[in-house]
Amino acid sequence: MQLQIQQVVPIPLKPNLLNRQSDIWLKGITFLPGTRVKIKAASGTGKTTFIHFLYHLRNDYEGNIFWGDTDIQNFTPAQLAQHRQQKISIVFQDLRLFPNLTARENIELKRVMQQPLYPESTIKEMAEQLGITKILHQRAGICSYGEQQRIAIIRALMQPFEWLLMDEPFSHLDQENTRKAAALITEECNKRNAGFILTDLDDDHYFTYHQNLVL
Amino acid sequence: MQAWNNILKKIIKTASGRIRLILAIMGLSVALLLILSAVQLQANYHDLLHSKSNQDSIANFLVVNKQLTNANYGNTTLSATAIDDLKKQPFVDAVGILTPSRFKASIESFSSQFPFYTDISFESVPAAFIDVDSTQWQWQPGNDIVPMIAPNLFLDFYNFQFSLSQNLPQLTQEIVKMIIFKVNIQTPNGVVSLKGKVVGFSDRITSLLVPESFMQWANNNYGTLNNAQPSRVVIRTKDPGNPALVQYLKDHQLTTDADKTRFSKYRQIVNVVVQISGVTGGILLLFALLIFSLFIQLTIASCKEEIQLLVTLGAAPKQLRKFLMHRFFPPNVLIIIGTLIIVAIIQYLVALRLQKLYMFINPMLSIYTFATALLFLLILWVVNYTTIQRYIQKENL
Repeated sequence: MQLQIQQVVPIPLKPNLLNRQSDIWLKGITFLPGTRVKIKAASGTGKTTFIHFLYHLRNDYEGNIFWGDTDIQNFTPAQLAQHRQQKISIVFQDLRLFPNLTARENIELKRVMQQPLYPESTIKEMAEQLGITKILHQRAGICSYGEQQRIAIIRALMQPFEWLLMDEPFSHLDQENTRKAAALITEECNKRNAGFILTDLDDDHYFTYHQNLVL
Repeated sequence: MQAWNNILKKIIKTASGRIRLILAIMGLSVALLLILSAVQLQANYHDLLHSKSNQDSIANFLVVNKQLTNANYGNTTLSATAIDDLKKQPFVDAVGILTPSRFKASIESFSSQFPFYTDISFESVPAAFIDVDSTQWQWQPGNDIVPMIAPNLFLDFYNFQFSLSQNLPQLTQEIVKMIIFKVNIQTPNGVVSLKGKVVGFSDRITSLLVPESFMQWANNNYGTLNNAQPSRVVIRTKDPGNPALVQYLKDHQLTTDADKTRFSKYRQIVNVVVQISGVTGGILLLFALLIFSLFIQLTIASCKEEIQLLVTLGAAPKQLRKFLMHRFFPPNVLIIIGTLIIVAIIQYLVALRLQKLYMFINPMLSIYTFATALLFLLILWVVNYTTIQRYIQKENL
């Protein structure tokens, strides 16, 4: 499934963005399957907004966004859910975990939401890889932000996907943990022949990107 | 699937809404109890009025005639159209015309030891309206003896009043049936004498009855008066207390044995009471459904953010609906089963109690009560489903 954006511009930011150079806003771009894309953006340029548009969480924009051949405005709730379970996964900047569920339950939720891709033991394996085994039984609400970030990453990797959207996924991780997380993400994307779109504030060398864009 | 449900259960916990849930369940239970009781009450009421064991065979036959007033003095015959109209009424099962004799007659005893003489007139009615089961109840021209049915009232009048004042012996039904009377019919050519015999007694029609065949023969041969229209009919009805029947008689200035129809006034009062209980139950049920639907909305609203996040993460509307239905519908089934059991127990106790008063109702619940329970199960399902559906759709972008 390819992702395509055509002349998209967020309505609230439109006056500010018209005079700015951008690789994305008001452009036509196609992300081919399996492409690894880095989008660099300064604060306040609409990075999270763009990810939310792409995931169809917001629709206050002009232009069109396509998942495959379908404009995402035309999806029914059931079709949208189907795509979010099978084709497109996400790590939110604000993580969006259920604070009252344990770390394990937060991950398990995404594992069993659809026909499980991995056995339950995979949760533990990934947690070990990212060094959060000890907090699996803790409520997510009382985990540190760095721990929560790793929970959110593992959660996103529990499901089948063709695209992984990541919004500043390593903002609260040290270099070593970032390296481990990036390795896990690369491994999981390779397994699925999936592409990803990662947004961040600065340049980085965590992944080998096919496309580097500036928002 | 189990794991998914367990996690959802933890997310959409109703701990904070437990008191609300209990109140909603109580409201619904009370309303259902009322509505099911109202239905059962109607069924019992119907049972009491129409079941065989509660019926009185005399009361089902009413002799109807015009009210005699100064206005219709001398003109109390019932026209053919009036009789046809009566036949068409839903509360009338059958109409029998009472044919009066159109000749003068008297009866007297053959015995000089027991002298007896009285002028008399006869009436006849189709055999279907007669409650005396006797093989002797038939007559053909040439037959020696005319069978007669006498009202019990006549015999009582004789035994407890007339015989005492005249110093005559009292007579039992059996003795009367053995007596052969002399029946004299006055004809233009003199008196014709026949023999007559009482073959049975009845409470149904208060006149001396003879077989229709005899009446026809005698009227044809000896009738001196004009071919008069009938002025009385007997009707068979399932329910002499039916207010519609009483109203009809009143509207058409007809009259009948007031004792038999007096019950209709009480019936009307009971009808109103039963209807009010039904309406009250219905209104309460509406409120209960409203409460329950509001409860579901509130519960869903209280975990609105969680549902929103679930949708964001890709939970399908169908998955959520299934889970929420699973969570909210089973209490409804339990409520219905519970109230049915309570109504069944009450019904059994009431049946036992009424039995002591010689009123018989079915100790089991009526089929209508079960049908109503099923209907409300369906309504509750629809209310649950639509509330949940509406809410999930609201949470979707």
